[in-house]
Amino acid sequence: MTCLLAMHMADQLLSLPVAGVAWLAAMAAVAAASRLSRRQGPEKLPLMGVMGAFVFAAQMVNFTLPLMPGTSGHLGGAVLLAVLLGPWAGIVTMAGILIVQCLLFQDGGLLALGCNILNMGVAPCLLGYAVYRAVLGRTASAARQYLGAWLACVIGVAAGAAMVPLESAVSGVLRIAAGDFLAVMVGVHLLIGTVEGLITFAVLAYLRQVHPQWVGASTGGQPVRLSKPAVAASLVVVALLLAGVVSWFASAHPDGLEWSYQEHPYAGADKPVAPPSPAVAAVEAFQARYSPMPDYGRREAPLGRLPRQQAAPDSSAKPRATTVVNGWGSLAGLVGTAVTLGLLYAVSVMIRRPRRAVRDASRGA
Amino acid sequence: MHHSHIDRFAQGDSLLHRLDARAKLLAVLAYTVVLISFDRYAVAAMAPMAVAPLAWLWLSGVPVRFALRRVLLLSPFILTLALASPLYDRSVHAAALGPWQVELTGGWLTAMNVAIKFALGVLALTAMICTTAFSSLLEALDRLKAPRLLVMQLGLLYRYLFELIDRAMRVRRARDFRGGGRAPAGRRLRAVGGIVGSLLAQTLEKSQRVELAMASRGYRGQSHGLRQLRAGWADAALLAAMAGYLLLCRWVMPAMLGGRESA
Repeated sequence: MTCLLAMHMADQLLSLPVAGVAWLAAMAAVAAASRLSRRQGPEKLPLMGVMGAFVFAAQMVNFTLPLMPGTSGHLGGAVLLAVLLGPWAGIVTMAGILIVQCLLFQDGGLLALGCNILNMGVAPCLLGYAVYRAVLGRTASAARQYLGAWLACVIGVAAGAAMVPLESAVSGVLRIAAGDFLAVMVGVHLLIGTVEGLITFAVLAYLRQVHPQWVGASTGGQPVRLSKPAVAASLVVVALLLAGVVSWFASAHPDGLEWSYQEHPYAGADKPVAPPSPAVAAVEAFQARYSPMPDYGRREAPLGRLPRQQAAPDSSAKPRATTVVNGWGSLAGLVGTAVTLGLLYAVSVMIRRPRRAVRDASRGA
Repeated sequence: MHHSHIDRFAQGDSLLHRLDARAKLLAVLAYTVVLISFDRYAVAAMAPMAVAPLAWLWLSGVPVRFALRRVLLLSPFILTLALASPLYDRSVHAAALGPWQVELTGGWLTAMNVAIKFALGVLALTAMICTTAFSSLLEALDRLKAPRLLVMQLGLLYRYLFELIDRAMRVRRARDFRGGGRAPAGRRLRAVGGIVGSLLAQTLEKSQRVELAMASRGYRGQSHGLRQLRAGWADAALLAAMAGYLLLCRWVMPAMLGGRESA
């Protein structure tokens, strides 16, 4: 009996810089989420703790797939948590689940924990919740709720899974073609997300019939009011994801035309691209001289001086069958976003502290 | 099922059990970092890294077979990926072990490298968790400045984990005994929805009771636990030993043995 398990990222697929950046990003996300969910009052904590245990238990209840005998799926939980507890408490709860899975069950390693929290906690919770709310709109109609939950599972789970090949490609430990890996991971996780969506849908249907107050109270009845820091934080997370994905594509496939040209160099024939005009060349030289990250990569020459010409590849060396994937571009993107994230978080802490002191004082009085 | 199902070795008593959880956590983290930092084609050079986890398991009296079973249980996903890499990386490398020399593709070297790293990483983590009670691990996380809410949530999760898993297993067994596997898909899906939904309802009711109990004992958003961790000379010795060992494995020995040529 095969079980469709969402796949945990493993330490061994990561390089240290990628693991470190992901750890920092995950820590910032969890700290921000726990700050935001703490605001909803201390009575939420027991709910979060017990709900985490519930997700483990719910994963024991399997659902045998109809067309694929011997294969069964189960609940992943992130979207259901986000729907029932709100996205922030959902992230903290998922982080707790992933930490227990890592420590007690050794599923996913210590270093990969950051990646796993991002892939299986932050991404499905935020993205899934956004999709769910978007589909639900302002209504409380059952059909929209089911459709929203199902779509949220499919999109959230697949998006989180799509980050696994990206992280491992940026790390460059395994030399599996990133496109193939991406296709396999997203394909498998579309199936996993569909099954998870069906189960979430069935659970919501049961709750609507038996305990409508739990589903209605946290979803249809009163729309969750998104505060400004919440919106800012989710934008930062989306930016982080985009920076990783886009800059990876930017570095791996510099340009469709450029790439196809490298693949089929027209030996002896004219170049298909016209030589740059003097103005363009001047701008490019200026950019190469003063941009801190030329071509989204690490700068080798000090600022203000032109980078040295790359040494011609040693033709006597034994030809290698593969090329090295340049991970610097997306690392630059990720670092940039992580730094921004840290700054934003620091600013938000500084802004909020005085107000909270006032509130505590008034409560004490 | 019982708490001791997972934790049965953590309640034991040995030199390693008595060490500070913070020191053990940091030591395993350092070990994992150094393990991952090995070159992707390194195979034989990683052999000394097997010493620490195995010594840890032996010294603490945790059966190595138990730890190895965990490695096997967790291996399918990573092995699939590792075995895919020979399809892509066909660069030829000379691997030498003593007098024997073979030409291997880089993909096979990477596959072996990843499998070894995986096994050693899981062994080290298992060794740490089997010698540390979860409660002291939580205190360690708290003292290492993890978010409070997360730590308290982890504690509650651990407390109710086995209770709820036990309940879910009972319900699942009842369903399977009643022939739930042969029903049409739609009805099975509804059954899963009912089981998970009622489990959720029970969970929500339980959380309300827990909240009431905590509030009546004076809970107002802060947890107050015993602080039992004391860092002592033994913990410093563990960290120093681990640092020296890692230095030796990663830098001193490869430099002495001639480094990259020995694959």
